[in-house]
Amino acid sequence: SDKMSDKQSAQKSAKIASGAVVCVESEIRGDVTIGARTVVHPKARIIAEAGPIVIGEGNLIEEQALIINSYPENITPDSEGVEAKTMTIGINNVFEVGCMSQALKIGDNNVIESKADLGRNMILTSGCIIGACCQVNTCEVIPENTVIFGSGCQRRVQTERPQPQTLQLDFLMKILPNYHHLKKTVKN
Amino acid sequence: MASLLQPDRVLYLVHGEKKIRSPLSTLYFCRYCSELRSLECVSHEVDSHYCPSCLENMPSAEAKLKKNRKRICNQLNENFRCANCFDCPCCMHTLSTRATNIPAPLPDDPSKTAMKKAYYLACGFCRWTSRDVGMADKSVASGGWQEPDNPHTQRINKLIEYYQQLAQREKLERDRKKLARRRPYMPLAFSEKYGLGTRLQRQRPGAPITSLAGLSLKEGEDQKEINIEPAQALDEVEPLPEDCYTRPINLPEVTSLRQRLLQPDFQPAGASQLHPKHKHLLIKRSLRCRKCEHNLSKPEFNPTSIKFKIQLVAVSYIPEVRIMSIPNLRFQKECQVLLTLTNPVENITHVTLVGCEEGDPEDINSTAKVMVPTKELVLAGKDAAAEYDELAEPQDFQDDPDVVAFRKSNKIGFFIKVVPQREEDGDVTVSFKIRHDFRNLAAPIRPSEEGDAPAEAIWLTHHVELSLGPIIA
Repeated sequence: SDKMSDKQSAQKSAKIASGAVVCVESEIRGDVTIGARTVVHPKARIIAEAGPIVIGEGNLIEEQALIINSYPENITPDSEGVEAKTMTIGINNVFEVGCMSQALKIGDNNVIESKADLGRNMILTSGCIIGACCQVNTCEVIPENTVIFGSGCQRRVQTERPQPQTLQLDFLMKILPNYHHLKKTVKN
Repeated sequence: MASLLQPDRVLYLVHGEKKIRSPLSTLYFCRYCSELRSLECVSHEVDSHYCPSCLENMPSAEAKLKKNRKRICNQLNENFRCANCFDCPCCMHTLSTRATNIPAPLPDDPSKTAMKKAYYLACGFCRWTSRDVGMADKSVASGGWQEPDNPHTQRINKLIEYYQQLAQREKLERDRKKLARRRPYMPLAFSEKYGLGTRLQRQRPGAPITSLAGLSLKEGEDQKEINIEPAQALDEVEPLPEDCYTRPINLPEVTSLRQRLLQPDFQPAGASQLHPKHKHLLIKRSLRCRKCEHNLSKPEFNPTSIKFKIQLVAVSYIPEVRIMSIPNLRFQKECQVLLTLTNPVENITHVTLVGCEEGDPEDINSTAKVMVPTKELVLAGKDAAAEYDELAEPQDFQDDPDVVAFRKSNKIGFFIKVVPQREEDGDVTVSFKIRHDFRNLAAPIRPSEEGDAPAEAIWLTHHVELSLGPIIA
């Protein structure tokens, strides 16, 4: 039916802006929009299962990072009344190696360090740093400039927001195309 | 790897002041006394101090005190803190120095600005920076950071001096009394030299620890009379602020107890007063046998080296028993357990296993009967080159296949029979004695007329306990 074909056509498209560097070895599934100057490393995974994902500009998504818009645990994919929620990610965020993010709303200038784990009900504002190996699965809005660190997920507020990784992004945008094929936008 | 080897299932008994049972890997062997030693029956001494992050060696306390005491860097060393490295006051991680470029006017021409480097301290773990507490960026990479002064420093220093003097005076009195009794011809000054520098006085258990000891009077220095004002008790205390109960708490600003107590001189309640402290030094420790005063473990002086100058660990001298496989243990049924015995020395070792007799005072934990091989087990020497030497003939030991399961260079596998005697929950524990010959290479070389006589072998006996796991019904 129409709905099915719409779903299928929506799933096939991954809109990659012209300035973005997305390596072919990365896995992008579903309706994903990637902004300009964003770098997606090989083996990164962006999976839009339960709804589209919109990623802004200047983000850095490193290897084995997993950004997934998945169904909540108690809801099956086919049940009625399930709205497709869009996951939005702002600009200048860094998703370090091996992290997993299911948070539906991430603002700007956040850093999610290696092997961190963000739950679906979290909302990151801006300047937040989720430390390495920290699993945060609460239903809250993290205030600006919060740092979550340590095995007990201690928190503190820093006075400065983390600097945007412009140097790193420029370097990667120059070097990665020398060693990897890039994904381009699928044109219908 | 240690959890894979499960070393704490085989315990050796150490005869010391206390009877201690611990794995062979944690024990030392005094080859002068020919006995096992554990960490509790040796004396621990501080060898040297070093900073764990910059790995710089700090001279020992005695060497420092001979220099001029009044220098500030010495004062830092007396506190046993590194002069270069800082700890994050928030998470206690090591701080690293970061640089930024800031435009600054040139000294020659104020209208032009050049990029100058400014340094600040930052923590990679919790993202604390020195700018959070208002510390200005410094223009030098190291040496520019100062800890804030404590307003009470002067008073505390004066109190310390006064009590140091008191301690010296009391010590003089004590020594005078002692010398008056024993050696009246010894001059008084000698008692100072026999301070806690000699080993005899150091090892006295229960002796009061005085960090003030070693500060002997310099010859010719007159003893100044130091008077202190007694502390005054005040009736009025500063009242609490009026909004103490109504002001909302700013949680990120409140310091945790740990953060507060790591700075005992300030104990700030607010995070904006948390200043970084210099990093605490770590020590290199040497161990000494209490009976014969020989060193059992002496590390290298260089902080970057993990080797030892003297390393008399038990695993290099005593054959080690390890559990290889345990069948299902059944109550009052005979089970065969496979153990391995490894020979750490280069010469052939003969090992005899003996079960514990009835009423053995060392056998307190066993919950099963054990039948050990009656024949003597022979272990080949440890030969590091054996795996490369293809022409070597395999040594023929004629092992009894009922006793010896396999033989591999300096290791053999042998069977013991275990009959669990108790049906309760808990591990089946067996114990036996292992008797082996030991060639003492540390014995002084006596001039012998017959030429090279081999080192004499002595027989050592150790009590071994094995924990074999629970009974499976």
